[in-house]
Amino acid sequence: MFRAHMSVTRIWQLIEKRMMSCISVHGKLPGLQRAVGEVRRKSSFRQSPLLTATPVRALIDEQISIKGRFLSQNYPVTVCAQMHSEEGDLWEAFAHYTTNASGSINLTSDHSVGGSYVGCEPMGLFWALEPALGSREGLRLRKRNVETPYMVNISLLEGHTSPSEGQRTELAAVTTERWYMAPGVRRIEIRQNNIVGTLFLPPGPGPFPAMLDLWGMVGGLLEYRSALFASRGFASLSVAYMGHKDLPGPQHIMSVGDSYFKSAFQLLQDHCQVDADRIGVIGLSYGVVPTLRIATTIGFKPSCLICINGAVGSPLLDEDGKSKMFESDQKHWEFDDRGYVSFRNVSLPDNLPPESKRKVENITCPLMYIVGEDDLCTASTENADVIEEALRSAGKSHQFTRLSYPGAGHLIEPPYTPCSRASLWKTKPEKLFTLWGGHPAPHAAAQEDAWKRILEFMETHLRR
Amino acid sequence: MTQAVPPILSVTPSRALVDEKFQVLVENLPPGCPVTLRSLHRSEDEDDWEAYGHYVSDHRGVVSVSEDLSFGGMYTGKEPMGLLWSMRPVPGSRKGLRLRKINVCTPMLVNISVHSGHEGFRDRTPLASALAERWYMAPGVKRIDINKQGVQGTLFIPPGPGPFPALLDMWGGGAGLLEYRSALLASRGYVSFSLDYLRSEHLSADVEFKYFETAFNIIRNHPQVIPDRVGILGSSLGSMVAFNLTAYSTIIKPRCIVCISSNHYHPPGTTLKAGFKILSNRTNDLSKINCPMLLVNGCDDQNWPTVETVARLLREGGKEHLLSRLAYPGAGHLIEPPFSPHFRATKFIILNSKEKVILLWGGHTKPHSDAQEDSWRKILSFLQLHLYHSPSVKANL
Repeated sequence: MFRAHMSVTRIWQLIEKRMMSCISVHGKLPGLQRAVGEVRRKSSFRQSPLLTATPVRALIDEQISIKGRFLSQNYPVTVCAQMHSEEGDLWEAFAHYTTNASGSINLTSDHSVGGSYVGCEPMGLFWALEPALGSREGLRLRKRNVETPYMVNISLLEGHTSPSEGQRTELAAVTTERWYMAPGVRRIEIRQNNIVGTLFLPPGPGPFPAMLDLWGMVGGLLEYRSALFASRGFASLSVAYMGHKDLPGPQHIMSVGDSYFKSAFQLLQDHCQVDADRIGVIGLSYGVVPTLRIATTIGFKPSCLICINGAVGSPLLDEDGKSKMFESDQKHWEFDDRGYVSFRNVSLPDNLPPESKRKVENITCPLMYIVGEDDLCTASTENADVIEEALRSAGKSHQFTRLSYPGAGHLIEPPYTPCSRASLWKTKPEKLFTLWGGHPAPHAAAQEDAWKRILEFMETHLRR
Repeated sequence: MTQAVPPILSVTPSRALVDEKFQVLVENLPPGCPVTLRSLHRSEDEDDWEAYGHYVSDHRGVVSVSEDLSFGGMYTGKEPMGLLWSMRPVPGSRKGLRLRKINVCTPMLVNISVHSGHEGFRDRTPLASALAERWYMAPGVKRIDINKQGVQGTLFIPPGPGPFPALLDMWGGGAGLLEYRSALLASRGYVSFSLDYLRSEHLSADVEFKYFETAFNIIRNHPQVIPDRVGILGSSLGSMVAFNLTAYSTIIKPRCIVCISSNHYHPPGTTLKAGFKILSNRTNDLSKINCPMLLVNGCDDQNWPTVETVARLLREGGKEHLLSRLAYPGAGHLIEPPFSPHFRATKFIILNSKEKVILLWGGHTKPHSDAQEDSWRKILSFLQLHLYHSPSVKANL
């Protein structure tokens, strides 16, 4: 349904021109607006709006500047982003703007007054993407193939509307490519020394500082953060430790232990294009557990650690660091009224077996801990407190940096990508959805700030 | 103790359109360190092209090509894009080469590297390197081969519903069909048709206005083109065609035209091809032009005498108000989209005789490159004004 945004005077001015016969004048402005729109399209006086995005080919963590020009003045428009995930799902975002007196909009400086986000959000169309109406439940956007970009179509629509509404007039469009990998970055599959991983090397001779990149219990092998690190000049090895067909044992159990991570760290040290004295470790979610194990085990000397929303210990590990099945102990699971599960209480420090907690005070390198305060999967704040206190007692407060983000959830990932508040955890014996937490706008702000701080931390401790 | 950390070289953006600037930054050098920044590109013809500049890092160990001065190499001074426009074939290459992208669907890959020292930098392995992609075509632009009503060429359509303003794009001789300017114009929002009109079959036949008028109407009638927002852009011989079409056609009325390196004076015994009737037996009368016209010329154009004649025609024509002129001292004949290398003379095959010569285009690299950068911006601005902006309302509403 159209909302009329033209002044009555303007409408009457148009009516006074020749096409009067095409318009029957009623009290209803919406009907009038529609008729006048048709008039405009028939005449030889054509508006040709132009929508631009700069750069049209960008890395995921680069800002894209979107502008619309040659539109009518003080005119309502909707900017809409659409893309297909690798699984074929349609993701969309949209926002409502009004053109200025020159008939332009500029998403870097203008304010959205409605839609997927409000306010001045230059990258809102990307972080506010959601599965389109009618999609399957519990989707999460993760790129498997980092050698191709996401193709995001940005379009400019007439009036304040939404993608799901029927009649929309598209005024202009532009296609953007969003890449996890810069040109020249090399992707190398690693299946040696029993390691299952992918190594990314920046272009050039090196040697490069490096990161060991560890993800969570969902498992598999996620490459996109490592691809971005390599695009920023750091070699990066992402390793799978559960849920991967090339790993030994059943996929739902972590069958590898400390020696596995030691091999991965060693691989980086031994690589001719990696600076063996400048290797850091980053862990997200359960990945924090091996991260801390590496840092507190003799023989390893990472240069820095980054821990995102993870715990100091785990009730699922035996003495050798191998895990038992996660589902075997559900006493701390909490369910909301939709039957979605929050694992948060599993990792409350008091619920963790004391023998599984790492001696964090033995850490000799800088540690950055990132907390999403709305994390519903891990008790991040409480675990951060434990780590901070342990280091403080050991006189090592100067090694500790905490970043804490209100409204952010568990999955703090590279910026300008959507927040999943919940997603499908497993399908057998029946479907179970898990809660990650986080609300789109604060989560997006957290991802943007955290990424910048992560890269600065890596520059400081791996490069200087 | 640990070894020194190598410097970091970054090129931002790493993927860009060819008319966009990039920032080349080197960090983590020792302070006051002499280094050479070098670019290297392998062309589609498998020739290697390079450029380099000599720099010294500041107290923070940083070299910024956008901010700092080059003290030698292929360019000097503050030249953010010097690593591209000053490129030459590497020593030992064939003579008379010209760098032109034929396949516009793939990017030009440029390797940028930083080497220690100034003299003899090539003997040392680079300290760091990065790869930049330079594209003629934005994502979503469609490329369509046209063979319709006897007219041949390649059409480029921007993404989106349209309809769009459009351009008929014509090059000059000696090059075959060049698509890259049209691809770039489509990436800037114009439907653009690069017209093929210099094949031998065209020359032997009666190539009258008809061929070009048909081409213009194919564009005009395209469902994604705004019929009264079609302009013509021509360079060299193509600009002559543009000029004559605009002045003498009774069928087509371009909204504006851009003529790059045109010649409005016909010496007797013209070198233009027999049978090419469009360019013979006409008086070059500027008064016949009825739309805004932009003339772009290099004052050091060695190919045709151009600048001297325009001034006269301006006065005689009485159409000064339609005319805008850009004349660039030190620039040659081949004024192309910016940041591409300059060619003072290149190989050329004379169309009728098939004779291979080295043709002198003129221009000196630095002023020619400045002319390319400045003229492209002004051409786009001129096109936007006449093809995108709403004119003062005389519409029939």
